[in-house]
Amino acid sequence: MAFDFPFMVEALFKLMLKIPISLEITFVSLIFGFLIGVAVALIRIYRVKILCRPADFYVSVIRGTPMLLHVYTVYLGIPLMFDALAKYAGWSARSKDIPTIAFIFIALSVNSGAYMSETVRSGILAVQKGEIEAGYSVGMTTMQVLRRIVLPQALVVCLPNLCNSIVSLLHGSALASFIGVSEITNTANMLAGDNWKFFESFVAAAILYWGCAIVIEQIMGYLERKMARRCGAPGVPASSAA
Amino acid sequence: MELIFQYVLKLLPYLPLNFFVILCGGLLIGIFVGVVIALPRLYHTPVLRHLSYLYLSFVRGTPVLVQLFIIYFGLPQILLTTGIDMRRTNPLFFVVIAYGMNWGATISEIIRGSVNAVSRQQIEAAYSIGMDSFQVLRRVVLPQAIVVAAPNFFNLVFSALKNTSLAFAIGVMEMVSRGRGMGLVSNHAFEAYLALGIIYYAVYLALMRLFSLAEKRLSRYRLA
Repeated sequence: MAFDFPFMVEALFKLMLKIPISLEITFVSLIFGFLIGVAVALIRIYRVKILCRPADFYVSVIRGTPMLLHVYTVYLGIPLMFDALAKYAGWSARSKDIPTIAFIFIALSVNSGAYMSETVRSGILAVQKGEIEAGYSVGMTTMQVLRRIVLPQALVVCLPNLCNSIVSLLHGSALASFIGVSEITNTANMLAGDNWKFFESFVAAAILYWGCAIVIEQIMGYLERKMARRCGAPGVPASSAA
Repeated sequence: MELIFQYVLKLLPYLPLNFFVILCGGLLIGIFVGVVIALPRLYHTPVLRHLSYLYLSFVRGTPVLVQLFIIYFGLPQILLTTGIDMRRTNPLFFVVIAYGMNWGATISEIIRGSVNAVSRQQIEAAYSIGMDSFQVLRRVVLPQAIVVAAPNFFNLVFSALKNTSLAFAIGVMEMVSRGRGMGLVSNHAFEAYLALGIIYYAVYLALMRLFSLAEKRLSRYRLA
């Protein structure tokens, strides 16, 4: 049983059509996950009274349980909640009207939010306290200090970890195949099931994921160099020639 | 609520399979694979170094699930050309190998980082007083490298524990597949997955406590 190369190339082209869906899952989850991560990181740094304990618990639970369980829990739990809520509030929509891809968005955002809160936390803590105090002494409010001083420098520090998070979200999008979302792994499974050529179609899927990961790493590396020059690493003044 | 507790009790017998066989077996294979992959990069061997880097890039760039499928479907096919028929072997074998190869890549990076962290001066001093390379390894490099590697290795163990949940896709009868089966049969799938989550979280907390004790013990002799 030799390796069927022509079939692999054919599978490659068929699977390439599904790359946009995988990337869509990755980047939508990235955006929401980053927002959740920043919020949770700020809560944990400033020890906001009521929210701090649930935030710690959230990060601990998400980091301690597999991503697959998050996907399944969201996929099974949210329809239960939504149906109960719809019945109570008298909505006409039911959980079966929610597109399946929304569940994977929510699950991956929740998952990556916990990891990104650690990343963002380390980035914010890397900014020198002297600069924050200087900002306060000039008369800026906390929000202004965060927006103008802390976050630009924190972002430079977060970028390597952010690259890892994006790649792990890309790998997490492969879990959407268990829910029924038609993305690269799911399509590879179905192609393989039709033709009984499992090895070739999964090698094609692996090549596509590998290519996407390499492209993402190159883009993030470029962004890191660009931002390090412009915003400066914390403690290093930005060069005037941007 | 009691349903979740019942599910936890029904799932616990499958934990040893998950934990000891897949996790520890995979980590052992991973340590071998990691050493093999790390050596060319540590000694800057001309061709093998780039092959190692290619292997690392592939393993880190593809999802674990896809790697599982590739090993499970591909390894018998490849071995069939050399005459070994593995199509009837237990999927557990392929799962342990696939995880071993995946974790081996991360372990090789850990090994490389920890060995590079040992000061070159100490190694040269050890050679200059007449130790041979095995003695240098045993007395100078390994004690310090293990202390540096320990936190990274423990992080790997946590992520490995979570990765083992994917083995059900191959057909291994372990905790997650039992939980799915129970959920499908009883229409209480949500409770089944919650029970699984509770077990994973409990193991995670226990391991975290164990590892922080280990790290404290290991860094006893460190000078800050």
